[in-house]
Amino acid sequence: MSHENDSAAYNREAELSALFAAYREACPDPDPSANFTPELWARIEARQTFVFSLKRFAQGIITAAAAASLVMGAYLYRPDTYTNSPVYQTGYLELLANEQSADNPANAEIVQALYERDR
Amino acid sequence: MLVDFELIRRAREGDHAAYNEVVQAYRKRILGTIARLIGRPEDVEDVGQEVFLRLYFSLDQLRTPEVFEPWLYRLTVNAAYDYLRKHRRRTETRMSDLSEQQVVLADAVAGSKREDEEQRRKRIRELVNSLLNGISEQDRMLLTLKEIEGLSLKELEKIYGVNENALKVRLFRARQRVLKVYEGLERKIAPVRASE
Repeated sequence: MSHENDSAAYNREAELSALFAAYREACPDPDPSANFTPELWARIEARQTFVFSLKRFAQGIITAAAAASLVMGAYLYRPDTYTNSPVYQTGYLELLANEQSADNPANAEIVQALYERDR
Repeated sequence: MLVDFELIRRAREGDHAAYNEVVQAYRKRILGTIARLIGRPEDVEDVGQEVFLRLYFSLDQLRTPEVFEPWLYRLTVNAAYDYLRKHRRRTETRMSDLSEQQVVLADAVAGSKREDEEQRRKRIRELVNSLLNGISEQDRMLLTLKEIEGLSLKELEKIYGVNENALKVRLFRARQRVLKVYEGLERKIAPVRASE
């Protein structure tokens, strides 16, 4: 029984191989039509035009983005926008020292009270 | 090689006349491969043009002219694969969908001498297309290239970029799957044969 199965499988394998060989013979290389090459070039040119338009569009976007960056940069780095502010003129520690200084009129009462207590 | 390396080098550098010569040299062979890969004669030229279109825009990526042919075959396989995936619903044929007419046609493949040669060829094409439509696109591609196009494992290695052993395994499995489809077809045509 097993021998018969093996034999049947072998036969099918051989039939399939023969079928593939017959198929190769039954499907010869077709002759291209006269329009094959002109149509190909038309497709190439259409694709090139599309790619060219896409490139131009992308370049336009890049130029616009660069211009917008320049404008924003110029606005942010305008000398009188932030740099004149005292916050940007002094460091944090200096600012703190000034705020907490005994000479600061806002602290005068506290300094006076401490002086009275210690005396 | 159907053309010399110099021509490919010139085409790669943007020489249109050289590219035209490459197309003229390879188009018949490529159209034949596509015809056998997709099994739909009416769409062969369209897929063929897609192959040469892709070739035109990717030629500058070709490292050396020596690998041109495997490169072109790879483009062909990819274009045919894309076509088959896009048209899967249209072309897919399961064994259960085979019409009685197809079954009778399949039976005739056994070698009826009554029919003329062209009829026999037509029936072989229909039968093999039915078989190949019963397996996946990947299996179909691989089997067609190996069993029908007659490419060697070395050539397939270059096209698929995988080693010979992996290819042997894939081929064995693909062949087993197509044999199953073939067995199914045999079971289906057996009652037809018996009633004759």
